Amino acid sequence: MRPGEVIFRHAEPVMGTVVSIDVRPRGLPMVQTRSAVAQACELLHRADDVFSLFQPNTPLSRLCRGEIELSDCPPEVAQVTALCEQAKRASGGWFDPWALPGGFDPTGLVKGWAAREAARVLEDAGIGAGMVNAAGDIASFGTPGQREAWRVGIRSPQSPELLACVIDLHGAVATSGLYERGAHIWDVVAQAPAGAVDSATVCGPDLALADALATGLVAAGEAGLDAVTAAGYEAMLLREGGKSVTTRGFPLPAAV
Amino acid sequence: MRRAPLVITGTACGLVAVIGYHTAAPQASALTSSSASGGTGTLSFGATTAATTARAKTSAGANKTATSATKTARSAVGSDVQYQYGDLELKVTMAGGRITDISVVKDSVTDQYSQQIDAYALPELRSQALTAQSAKLDGVSGASYTSAAYEQSLQSALDKLKA
Repeated sequence: MRPGEVIFRHAEPVMGTVVSIDVRPRGLPMVQTRSAVAQACELLHRADDVFSLFQPNTPLSRLCRGEIELSDCPPEVAQVTALCEQAKRASGGWFDPWALPGGFDPTGLVKGWAAREAARVLEDAGIGAGMVNAAGDIASFGTPGQREAWRVGIRSPQSPELLACVIDLHGAVATSGLYERGAHIWDVVAQAPAGAVDSATVCGPDLALADALATGLVAAGEAGLDAVTAAGYEAMLLREGGKSVTTRGFPLPAAV
Repeated sequence: MRRAPLVITGTACGLVAVIGYHTAAPQASALTSSSASGGTGTLSFGATTAATTARAKTSAGANKTATSATKTARSAVGSDVQYQYGDLELKVTMAGGRITDISVVKDSVTDQYSQQIDAYALPELRSQALTAQSAKLDGVSGASYTSAAYEQSLQSALDKLKA
């Protein structure tokens, strides 16, 4: 780390999980740093209030029940819907929130989108470098200390104590898998529970898209990798027994 | 297994990396012996890299070199090696949010790989990331956890670290 670099960490319970924030103010006064982190947390709570499908009265829940139109929703619903269309194309159809059994559900992208937006709030406030980790989906800007990348462990599907690898991260990384919440990812192509791989990790510039692509890859497995790389993203697939596949540009640490 | 990790659970080791390949036809290797010795937790990560690097050159007859390299740490680390082979299980010990030790628990060599993917690279913990000075992680990516599971997560331990 830079000599004397200030690190400010915060963990915010929101969206049924905990979002971890790590910022390096780089000269921004601590009062403003704390204020920016508070704003980022407000944004996360607002995203929850708009997009939660676990609460019946959120705009998204009402939209999905057909009680209101998209034009009645807060503007971020249209923004997320447009991102879902973009992600559906970029994934080659493996991410398709319109093809789910319960109807439209953008959950596979919303958390990544929210963390990305939170990171933008921090950056726009003048914070030098930072990372927002929304329960395993990470948006970053800048780099920590004197290092050239954030150092991020990728959890093994086998246990929260295990890492499959460590990557040098610029930008975003999202991981989807079945190990935390069971078979909750739907294979929109086969119309069956997904399970091609135990987890899929996607790196690239935009966490919203990375999150969606990772969700799609859990169903697609290797069949989805070409679309991911064509979109400018890199991926790693992990299977039971520790088998893995990575695309060529997956950001493993540089050789010494 | 030399000290209780600061993080996560009461188990002896903080992290284990289990790394493998979408490959076929496991091959016997001189490295089997290094696997066994690694299980004792005596190998450093540099040694792991050296072993794997050498293994990547198995066709050049480097097996014996690899075996000895596991005991000499880092001396045979190659640059930009494209890993293609085998399953490798590493045991990583953390203390104070830093990786303090890594050992090979198991490895096996395979030499055949799927043609569909551009490249296979062994997701390895290179020595750059693992020296005691620089092994601190900034974050952990994984499938979404619930609030309850967060408390058990490595990310939670990192969040509790003070600058």
